[in-house]
Formats: sequence, structure tokens, C-alpha cells
Amino acid sequence: MAYEEVVVKKPLLLRILPFVSVGVFLLLWEWVVVSGIVPSVLLAPPSKVFTLFIDKLSEPNPDGAVLAVHAWTSLQEAFIGYGLSLLVGIPLGLAMGWFKIVEGLARPVFELIRPIPPIAWIPLTVFWFGIGLTGKVFIIWIAGIVPCVINSYVGVRMTQPTLIQMARTYGATDWQIFRQLCIPSALPMVFGALQIALAYCWTNLVGAELLAADTGLGYLITMGGRLGRPDIVVLGMVSVGISGAILGFIIDCLEKKLLAGIRR
Amino acid sequence: MSSSIANETVAATSGQEGFSFYRLVTNIYFLYAVSLCTFFLLWDRVAAWQVFGDSLARPHAVAGKLYDLSQVKFAGTNLAGHIWASTRRVLVGFTLASAIAVPLGLFMALNKYVNAVVKPIFDLFKPMPPIAWVSISILWFGVGEFSKIFIIAIGTFVPCLLNSYNGIRLIEPELYDVIRVLGGNRKDEILQVSFPASFPAIFAGLQISLSIAWTCLLAAELMNARNGMGFLIKRGMDTHQPALVLGGMVLIALMAWLSSLLISRIESRLCPWKRSIDNL
Repeated sequence: MAYEEVVVKKPLLLRILPFVSVGVFLLLWEWVVVSGIVPSVLLAPPSKVFTLFIDKLSEPNPDGAVLAVHAWTSLQEAFIGYGLSLLVGIPLGLAMGWFKIVEGLARPVFELIRPIPPIAWIPLTVFWFGIGLTGKVFIIWIAGIVPCVINSYVGVRMTQPTLIQMARTYGATDWQIFRQLCIPSALPMVFGALQIALAYCWTNLVGAELLAADTGLGYLITMGGRLGRPDIVVLGMVSVGISGAILGFIIDCLEKKLLAGIRR
Repeated sequence: MSSSIANETVAATSGQEGFSFYRLVTNIYFLYAVSLCTFFLLWDRVAAWQVFGDSLARPHAVAGKLYDLSQVKFAGTNLAGHIWASTRRVLVGFTLASAIAVPLGLFMALNKYVNAVVKPIFDLFKPMPPIAWVSISILWFGVGEFSKIFIIAIGTFVPCLLNSYNGIRLIEPELYDVIRVLGGNRKDEILQVSFPASFPAIFAGLQISLSIAWTCLLAAELMNARNGMGFLIKRGMDTHQPALVLGGMVLIALMAWLSSLLISRIESRLCPWKRSIDNL
């Protein structure tokens, strides 16, 4: 028996409330600054942030670079570090899930390094690599590798034992089971790791740039703070948030495309 | 934990045999020991051969530095004082944020009007890394205790909120059907199903928040502090003492690990029904 899909329309109030709430939030923010309840040395109103955004597209002062340069520096660091962490973390996690020897050798060291917050590495990387690209890529790599390893490991471990037993009954070798059964069944978890690792990388990038940088969005925020310019700080925060959200969205689209047959 | 998934079923059939070299090499504890020894040996050698110049301290130098710090006062307080200063900030910030965020998340999931008002504002803040708040909180609250607690609270708030929200929304609808079949009303649904079923997700959120809290604490203390573990690291950085930097890293890793252990202990006490797969 065929049945029609029932579409329940949300009530009008529920559909407009989100817009109302964001609008009220922005207006309130504008109003507390303009009316002087919060002094303008502490917070910049949204309108001022927006005009600054337009200015910063072409004006390198007072922090030394236009917005696009800051954003490009940050993106570059994030992408190299993120790519490297995927390249190392996912194969390592998959192998740790299946091969006992790899797990035995890699796990203790991994457990030692894992609880250290990645930005704690900043002083050492400054000693070792200076404040250039390498140091920040190293920190982002450390930050991204943890979720990659964990998720790939759990993904392999969550493969249904029945399937593995069946494959064994049919005479599959260890390697065949790993390659043809465990890796595909771990893929949804691995893609989960892509999102988590991206968020980690992005957070720690900002941390790394706050302390050791001469361009980048995190540096923009620090300079804003040092110069006592809340508009620059807020602009930096908003740019970081928006670029992070765009990156997350791209990964999300990729995931939907690649995993069309596996999920659900 | 002993071996890979498929071998677990096979392991039961293999009985006790005589000594075999292969079994020794694949024994998990033997491998752990090999791994740790290799790690520390490598660290020691890399430091001793000065691969990074004088910018990496040998393990025993780090241990010695920590021992020295526990004996004499450094920047006004001894080692325990620095550890407590950091821990207190995390405790206060984390407790404050989770005490507000968890109930708010539950409330958002249970009431769609609250959700429609609050959720979009959180979607605005969600992609902003908590560390980005460091500068503005220094601008607002100065360099005192409150600005550090503020950053920690901001960082922990969002994951706590989102996890308790999702914890309720992802409950299997069958569970509600059961309560309704048994004659329960809305109140029973919430008290008997929603709250207990969302516990594991809430605790997962608390774990994530806790690790973010330590990261935020570190960021705040590296920017500006007069005591705490981040201060030790920063001081080591400024005066070029790799042993002090590494000592601070060891301490903060230890505290982060202990606190996450504490949360998972509480979790297994509160929700014993949660079946955990052999997680990392």
C-alpha cells in the first residue's frame, strides 16, 4: 500500500522567531554601545564592525595587512596542518584498530601525548622553528591528529564481529578483512573525524597566532587587543567564526557526496 | 582490549602452551613496555645529541626541575600553589558554565519556542573558537582572575549546551511510545525517559568541555598570568628554559587526564546501563 508523505508545516510563529531573536540580539548590541551603557572603548557596535570590514578589505593599517592577507595566511596554515594530520592520523588509527602490534606500539605514546593541550606546544615550537609557518603547522598537526586517530580506531573496532567471522569462514586473510571490510565500515566514523579535526585545528590555529605570529586572523585579534580597538577584535572574531563555518560546510557537503551509499 | 576484534572470539580456543617467542613479541604488555622505553630513550637521545640545539630538555632534567619547584618557592608560591591556582580557575569556570548550559540545553530540547529564540543566537557563537575571546576578555575585565574564568566559561558553555540539547533530541521515539503505552503523561515522559536517556550525551559534552576548559585556561595564562601552570610554561618560554616548559606541559597533561578520569568515574556511577565499547 502506497502512502503519501505527510508534510507538517511549522506554525508561523516558530518560523519567524529565529529571525526575530537574531535581529533583537543585533539591535540590543548596537543600542548598548551607542547609548553609552557599555563604553565604546570596550565594545564596538555591529555597524562600526561592518564599516571596518569594508575598510580592511583595502586598508592595511594599523595592523600591517589587509583582511584577505590575514585570512589567507590562516587558511594556508590550517590546510597544511589539517592535511598532514589526516594523512598520518587516519591510517594510524585504522591500523591501531586492526593490528595488535601497531596498537601495542603506538597506543602508550599516543596516550601520553593526548592530554597535553596543543597550544602548550607553542613555546617549544617557537624554540624549534621560530614564529614562521612551520611552528604553527606543527601545532595544528598535533591538534588534528588526536580526533583522527580516535575516530578511525573506534570505527574499525565497531565493525560487526559477525561479518568478520563470516569473512574468516570464507577464508579471507587478515589483510583482506582489514582492507575490504573494516575500512569501509569505519568510513562514517572517519568522516566524523574530519569535522572534529577541522574544528580543533581552527581553534588551535587561533591560539597559536595569538602568541606567535606576524600575520593571520589570530594576530589581527591580538593586535586589536593591544591597540585597544574593540572593533578590530570583534572583526577578527567574526572573520574567524565565518571562515570556520564555511570550511565546516564544505567538509559537510563533501561527506554527503562521498558517503551517499554508506550512511543511513 | 587484548587484541583485535576478530581475534577475541578465537582467543578463547587457544589454550596454554609452552614458551613461544612469537607470543612474547605479540603480548600487549610487552609491546606497551617496548613502546614506552623507545619513546623515552628517543627523547633522551634527541635531547642529548642537541638535535634542536639546547631547546629540548632531557627527561631527567624535567623531573629534576619539577622536584626543585616543589621544594622552593617560584614567583611567590611553590608547585602545589601553581597547580591549585590553575585548577581553581578551571573548576570555577567549568562549574559555572555547565550549571547554566546543561539545564538550558535540556530546556531548549523540550520546548520548541525556547529553542526558536535561543538556538539561532548560539548558532552565531558556535563557530567562534573560544580562544578568540581571550583578547576581548582582557579588554573587558583586565588581567585578573575574572577574565580567565570568563574565557573558560565561554569555551565550556557551547559544547555542554549542544550535547545536552542533542542528547534529548536523539532519544529513540520507541522509548516514549513505551511510556505512553504504560499510561504516562508528559511529565512522566520527561522525568522517566528524557532525563535519564540524555545522561550519556551530557557526560560526553562535559568531557569535551573539560578538555576545552584546559586549553582555554592555558591560552589565558600564556597571555597574562602571575601564577598557574600556564605561567610556568610562559616563564620558561621567556627565559628560554626548556625544562620548565616541559615540566609545565607534563603537569597540565596530568591534571587534564586526572579530571577527565574523574568525570568518567562519575558517569559510570550515574549511568551504569551505558555499555561502552573499548574506547580510546
